[in-house]
Formats: sequence, C-alpha cells, structure tokens
Amino acid sequence: MKSDLHEARERRHQEARAWKKRTGGKVVGLFCCSVPEELIHAAAMLPVRLLGEHEDTTEADVHFPVNVCPYPKACFDQALKGSYDYLDGMVVPNVCDMVRAMFGFWQTSSPLPFLYFLEVPQKISPESTEFFTVELRRFRGALEAFGGEPIGDDAIQEAIRLCNADRELLRKLSALRVTAGVPGSLVQDATLTAMVLPKERHLELMKAALAESQTSPTANGLPLFLSASMLDESDFVRLIEESGGHVVADDMPAGTRYFQADVDEADPDPIRALARRYLEEIACPRKMLPEAHLAHMLLLLEGSGARGVVIHNLRACDCHLYEYPYFKKELEARGMSVLFFRGEETATELEQQRADIEAFIEMIEG
Amino acid sequence: MATSTSAKKHLATTLLVPELRRKHYAQTVADSKAGKKVAWCSNNIPSEILEAMDITSVYLENYATVCASKRLSSAFCRAGERAGFSQDVCGYARILMGYLLGGDDLPEAPYGGPAKPDILIVNSYSCDSRMGWFTTMARTLDLPLYVLDSPYQPGGGCTDPDNIVYTESQLRGLIAFLEEYTETSFDPTRLRQRLELAAKANDIQVEIYQMRKHVPSPMGAGDAYTAVWPGMYLTGSEECDRFYEQLRAEMRERIENGIGIVPEEKLRLMWSGLPFWYNMSLMNYFEEKGGVVAIENAFFRQLRSLPQQDEDPVRDMALRSTMRRGYAGGIGERIDLTVEVAREYSIDGVILSYNPSCRLFYILQPALKNALDRAGIPTLALECDMADERTYSEGQVKTRLDAFMERLLARRQGDRREIRPS
Amino acid sequence: MGEALVAGIDVGSHNVSAVLLGPSGILGHAVLASAEEGERAARRSLEEACARSGDLPIPEAVVATGCGRSHVSFAARRSSEVLCQARGTHHLFPQARTVLNLGAESNRAVRISADGRATAFATNDKCAAGSGRFLELMARVLEVPLEEMDELALAADSRAEVSSRCTVFAESEVISHIHRGVPKAQILAGIHAAVVDRIVELAGRIEVEPEVAVTGGLARNRALLAELESRLDLPLLVPPEPRIVGALGAAIR
Repeated sequence: MKSDLHEARERRHQEARAWKKRTGGKVVGLFCCSVPEELIHAAAMLPVRLLGEHEDTTEADVHFPVNVCPYPKACFDQALKGSYDYLDGMVVPNVCDMVRAMFGFWQTSSPLPFLYFLEVPQKISPESTEFFTVELRRFRGALEAFGGEPIGDDAIQEAIRLCNADRELLRKLSALRVTAGVPGSLVQDATLTAMVLPKERHLELMKAALAESQTSPTANGLPLFLSASMLDESDFVRLIEESGGHVVADDMPAGTRYFQADVDEADPDPIRALARRYLEEIACPRKMLPEAHLAHMLLLLEGSGARGVVIHNLRACDCHLYEYPYFKKELEARGMSVLFFRGEETATELEQQRADIEAFIEMIEG
Repeated sequence: MATSTSAKKHLATTLLVPELRRKHYAQTVADSKAGKKVAWCSNNIPSEILEAMDITSVYLENYATVCASKRLSSAFCRAGERAGFSQDVCGYARILMGYLLGGDDLPEAPYGGPAKPDILIVNSYSCDSRMGWFTTMARTLDLPLYVLDSPYQPGGGCTDPDNIVYTESQLRGLIAFLEEYTETSFDPTRLRQRLELAAKANDIQVEIYQMRKHVPSPMGAGDAYTAVWPGMYLTGSEECDRFYEQLRAEMRERIENGIGIVPEEKLRLMWSGLPFWYNMSLMNYFEEKGGVVAIENAFFRQLRSLPQQDEDPVRDMALRSTMRRGYAGGIGERIDLTVEVAREYSIDGVILSYNPSCRLFYILQPALKNALDRAGIPTLALECDMADERTYSEGQVKTRLDAFMERLLARRQGDRREIRPS
Repeated sequence: MGEALVAGIDVGSHNVSAVLLGPSGILGHAVLASAEEGERAARRSLEEACARSGDLPIPEAVVATGCGRSHVSFAARRSSEVLCQARGTHHLFPQARTVLNLGAESNRAVRISADGRATAFATNDKCAAGSGRFLELMARVLEVPLEEMDELALAADSRAEVSSRCTVFAESEVISHIHRGVPKAQILAGIHAAVVDRIVELAGRIEVEPEVAVTGGLARNRALLAELESRLDLPLLVPPEPRIVGALGAAIR
C-alpha cells in the first residue's frame, strides 16, 4: 500500500511545475545533503534534490562509461530526457568525483541561467568551517544576484526555523519505526518528499502522516538497520519489508542523515550556523573519517533493536566502498550479521536482491 | 599475459631514470634506518615542504606502478580484494592494501617494500579514492594522518582571497602537524630554495612538451612516461633540474638532426588516460608499423610557473596554487585541452584508455571520445585497468590496435591521394 | 520431525530435485530436468522420489527451496537456498564448516556452525562467469559434449589463458584460441581455471573455514573439483549426489 508521501515523490515534477506557476518563483536543483537548502528557501526559491528513475539511462550513457555511480548518472539522464526542464538553476557541491563531474556536464549539455559550484570542504576542522562559512556568504550573494532580491538574515532565520520544524517531524516519524512499527519505507518516502516539495506543503503531509500512524497497521518484520550510499526511491526498503524485514533505523542521505541534526537557531550569525551544521553534523564519509562515521552509526544502531545490518552501496562509490571492510569487521565483532549489496540501480536488480534478503532474515531468525 | 613490460627507450637521458628511482627508494629506506622521519604521501602532497623539514617522502601511487611494472599486481590486488576491497576501487590502493594486509604467501615487494612510515599525508581533492585508501592505511598501521584540503575550483585558477586563505591554512596546518609528529622544524629558506628549483624544472618540462610537437617526434610516450618521474618525485632538487636540462639538450639535438623514434614516421598517436603500467612495451608496439605515440595527456604540462607572489614561501605556495589549478580541473577544461593537444601535435588517432578503477580519468573518456569525434579525430577505446594486469588480454588488445592502425594508415593514404595533383 | 515423512523440493533453473526423508534418513530422491513450469516439475520430481522409495505416499509436509520455490503452491513452507544448503550439508557432513554450492545459474558460499546453522553467506547470481551456464556455453563453442568436458580438461598438460572477469570476454578469447589451433584440452583447462577463480573469489567473501563441502550440479565436474581443491589447498567433501543437498536441507526444515 503506497502512501500519500510515496505518491508525492512520484508526482514531484508536477508539484514543482505547479509551484512555479502559482508563485512565479524559481526552482533550483541540487545534489547531496551538503547543500544548505535554507538559503534557497530564504531566496524565495524552491530547492529540489535531484532523484533518478530506475529505467535505462539511454541518454546519459552517451556521456558516461559503465562503471560509475548510477545515481548522478540517472539524474543527468532525466535532465537530458527533459524531466527537469522546469529547473532554473542548479547547485553542485564539492562532494565526490561523480557529482563534481556533474558540474561540467551540466554546463555543456544542459545549460541553465544559474549553475553554482558549492565549495564544500573535504574535511572537518575549524579552518574548514571558517572557509565554508565564507563560501556560504558567497553563495548567498550569488543567489541574490540570480533572484534580483537581497536575502536578509531574517529570511534565513525563518527558513532555518521552517526546515528545523520539518526535520523535527521527520525525527518523530523516524522514532515511531522502533516504538510503533511505522514502516521504514514510509519514513524514507517522507524524507525524499522533504527534499523536493515546498516546505509548507511537506509539513502538512508530515502532520497527516503522523496522525495516520496512530491507527495504521504496524510493520512486524525482523528489525534491521540499513546503511546506504544513496537510495533515491523507497523500493529497496519496501523489498526488505516484503521479505520479512523492518528497517527500524538507518544511516543514509535520503534518510536519517537528512533530518537528524538541526541548525542552531540561537546563533546570531545564521550563515555560520548553517556552515557548522552542514559540515560538522552530517555523517558524510567524504568528509567524516571512517572511525567517526562508524561511531555515529553505532549510536544510531544502539537502542534501535536492529538484529542485523544491511549495507547497500552503489557501484563505484569509492567513499563508501573503502569503509565497508572496516564496518563489516566491527559490526560482526559486535554480533551483528551484515548483508552487503553492490547496487546498480537497474530495473531488474530488486528481484535478484530478494533471495539474499530472505536468506539473511531466515538466517538471523534461526 | 604480456611477455615483456618495459618500454624500449630511444633517448639516452631516459635510461638514467630506473637507476635514479632505485637509488631514491634505497635512500628512503636508508633515511628511515638513520632515524629520519618518513611520510607516506599521495600525489600532490608538496614534497618541497617535507624536504624543508628534513622529512623523507614516499609516494604510494608511484610505488604501486612499480609493483605493477614488476608484474606483481595480480598477487597484490587479489590480496587486497581478499581483505575486502572491491574490484571497483583504485588498482593502486588494492595493490598497497594487499601488500599491507596480505599474508605470508605474497611475493617479495619491490626494493624490499616501501620505507616504513611514521606519518601519512593525503590530499583530499583530485580524487575520492585516496581518502578511503589513506584513512584505511592510517588505521591499519595506527599512524597519524593529515588531510590536506583545498578548494576544488572547477573553473580553474582564481585570485579569490578566501580560497587563498583556506589553502594557506591547510599548508600551515601541514607544517604544524609535521612539527608535532616528527619533532622537526620548518626552515622557510629551504622551502624557498626548493620552490625555485621546482619552478625551473617545471618550465623546462613545459618547453620539452612544446618540443614534442615537432615532426618527426623527438620523444614518444615510451620515453615520456619514464621521463616524468623525476619531475613528480624528485621535485625541488638540483638533481631534478639537471635531469631536465639534460633531457632538453638531448631533445634539441634530436630536433636539429631530424632524429625521430622510427625511421619513417607514418602515424602519430595520442594516449589518453593512464597507461597500462604492467605492459609499457605497448608504447613501442606501433613502431613496427611506423607509428609513434607522440603525446600523452596524463601528466601534461603546458603552463609556465607563475612568478613569485609573496616573500613568505608558504603564502606564495597558497597564492600560486589558487591562481593556477595544476591537477584535475573541470571536465570541460580537460576535454578542451585534450582536443587542442591532439590538433597541435598533429595526431592521427587517439587511444582512449578506460581504466575502470581510476574514476578520475575514466569518467571523462566517453565525453572525450564524443569531442574527438566532433573534431574528426579517430579514437580507439581500450578498457583495462592501469595497475591490475588481470584485466588485460594481450591478444585482444593487439588485435584491436592492429585494426586501428590499419584504419589510420588507410586514412592517411586517402588524404595524400587527395593532395596529389591530378 | 517425529515419525512422519517429510519431503524437500529444490526448484532450480535447470533441475528440480526432491528428497523424501524419514526418521531413518533419506528414503528416496530424484533429480529431473525442469523443462516444464515449476509447479508441475516439482510435483513430478516428488512423485519420482516417492516411487523410488518403494512407493511411499507423498507426504503433507513439503518444504520448497530454490529460485522457483514460490511456484510450489502445495508446499507447506518455503526456505531460502542458503539455509537449506547449510542444513543439508550438515546432515551429510557434520564436520563441514563451509559449503560451496555451485549451480547452473548461481553460486553461493555458506558458513556453517557446529550445530548446522548458516552463520554467513555470499551469493553470485548476477554474473554468468563462474556458473554452470558459462560451462555450457563454452561446451557449445568448443563443440564438446558437456559430460566429456571435465575428462578432457583433466587430460591437459598445460592450460590456455582464459579471462575470469567476463563471459563475453572469455568467449572471444576461447574463439581466438581455437583459431590459433590451441588443443581443446588446454582451452578447457583454462576455462575450468577461470570458473574456479570466480568461485574462490566468492568463497573469500565469507572466509572459508575447513572442512569444505561442494554441492550442486558442478560438483560432479572432476576437473573443477581438482582445480578447486588445489586452489583452496584443502580437501573437499563431495556427496555422491550433490544435486539433492538443497532438497535434503529443505526436508530437514
């Protein structure tokens, strides 16, 4: 049974177009949790996280070889197919080889009036936060030039409050996975839609979802923890549910990583508050060293009741692939069975994964 | 499997490199025994700073290519994979991880293994892989690691003061880290000396690259991939400058006397991407048919060093590296440069080396092919890893190279027929 | 399971095997080529196993495994191949701590605890290289009957290089070997080595622990077994009928 939130993700393009028509505003696409969407909201623009489709990437294949991360390739493919023709701008953060390459490809193949490369530092340190603060001020300036309107601190503070409020509701729903059997797929759809819908609209959907969760049937599969490099659809989580599992906690970009930490509303400098949260508080393996990332994951695992860990890394994702042997060893040493998938995001992949998930669950249940 | 691996050298100067390299590695081991501190570094870590602090540097990508050239990649990569590192990840990393984590059944490592490290230093830009690789090594060896960060600047060089400030803070952070973990002290005068020498060596290399436009080609890729070595790993030393001065003199002589690589140069090729380090003799393969790999784009240098920007050598480094992006750069820029080089060096055909585990070059290759197609320059794609020789099939590769050369020769013939008056 | 009879059915891509299990052990078994749709093939296989047991009745308690297990509507339970291989292997070889199940389309490596439970596993079902399908393809290319491949390969005194990375790549290499007049035995030896490469890689993902058992259709290939034993440097435990281990494990469930 697919929820309203799932439907909203499916209809995200129509929603964005409708928003444009209604408000006359600009839509800015982005990759990755490292981009402070608050600044885009503060500019009265709509930030939308790019998401792919599980279809053959016929258009993007002309530009990309086979062994690359399928997620940005699928997004680029959608852009070339016209699905994203309502975008007025794009923000490409300095986050990984493939996403960095997107900047150049977007420039040449899908030019937009606004294309900004966000210099996100590749390390966590006081100097890096300092630099990122400066970079976010530059980004604000670029948005102001693009929008033709100044972006005051007040507007940024308001956007921060709104985004924090949304994250709060996501955290509530997320916690209900453990305490009330709310399905992991619902939480993921909630997160995916948070990344693409106007905030007010999303807040409404969240309130409805939370109310509904009081009376919805509960998931009762084997509790599992999901760590993923990037899942832009909830169908993998749904597959786990269909196979007898229940994703009670996660560490993934379109999941906990998106909503776990808030921006500090008490900081009089909202730009600095954003820099701190987006650089220091997101467990992104490109910046956060593996020991720190593991510690973060273990905290999420603790108290979740998860009986096993599923790790889904997209092919060619260097950032996650290097961590894997270390994480596997440490998790198994703590008595957690680990099931690993090297994802390719193809249409046929899910069926092949089903057998392994069923075997994993059966193995843990004994 | 390939029967021979080294490229045949046509220049006398290049023949000096293997000994320079052997001596260099021996020196690093001797340094370590004598109590000098050793840093394992990724490419792009400025050795000038380490040298100014009397710290010995070992560059691991290079060590991996040495392993590959000595036909050890199968064993080491397999060991790396057994330790859990996917075949997707960098061949260099798998080789080193195999060396570190593999068991007693591994063959002896070149030069007895790299000198034992005291610290690790990695730069976070240029590619994702080295971060994962170096953090793993730091954990495995339980050694301190410094991450040198820098703004990416896909548009190339700029003079943005904030970028400069950050870059400088990273360099100073590196010095502070080195002072803390090695108890050495930083000598700015020594750094200044090394920077000046490095700048000179760079300029000579730029000149040498320009000289390779000459027809017939005075130096092909067979020599060039070896000739880059001092510039990458002995940078900032007198020895390095002397090497390139000698190389330039030899090049001048060859040009003056019209000495090429083959008696009759029929084809000029370009190698795009990394070579197959376990079989460099491929660079000579074309010579039987009068072909020369006249230029390669992997370590290409076309920009002369910027003049000194500041008295303080660390600030100077920060300024210059912000104003001029030596590595990576935006996709568009890299593609344009390659097409431009193909034109300027009178290239008949480009070999696109698709190394699936080196994402940095690999991502680019189809787009590069498209750009070369539009420029009317024929291409051949070869998909083999640059370090893992299990991906290489000699028969297949040579068959395809033969066909490519036939095609190019026929094309050349066709052109000549058109020019000839009727 | 008490006094009752239990049946296990393994609906694979090439074969459907069935095992009838009683308190005293295996009473009958059958392996049939699954040329028809899953449900009918499963029923026929079970009927055959019962017939060979001295015409014992078809039990109510039927557990299905294999890639086609969801098609067996009359099964009381379904169980994953991983667990069934572990249980079946443990029943036959209680000392086994690893089983390598080599099937027509997919391989799996499973670690088994001392009490016969699966504790870790790795599967390869995405890629043809390393599977029975690969060998079948090569048999066609070389025009050698499948059943004779292993004997020929064992007779070779040296081995031609065949890539283990990719079926397509390997096929073109084999064809060029044929054109160059390389003896079939040598090519076959190379092909077997390539298959074993992939199996060893798979096994490496779960860290092989002795004793090691090999099951599935490919476990009847003596050249493969010889090469695998040599590569792992461990003796291999191979059941007399390696294709029924999954069905046996299902029945034990």
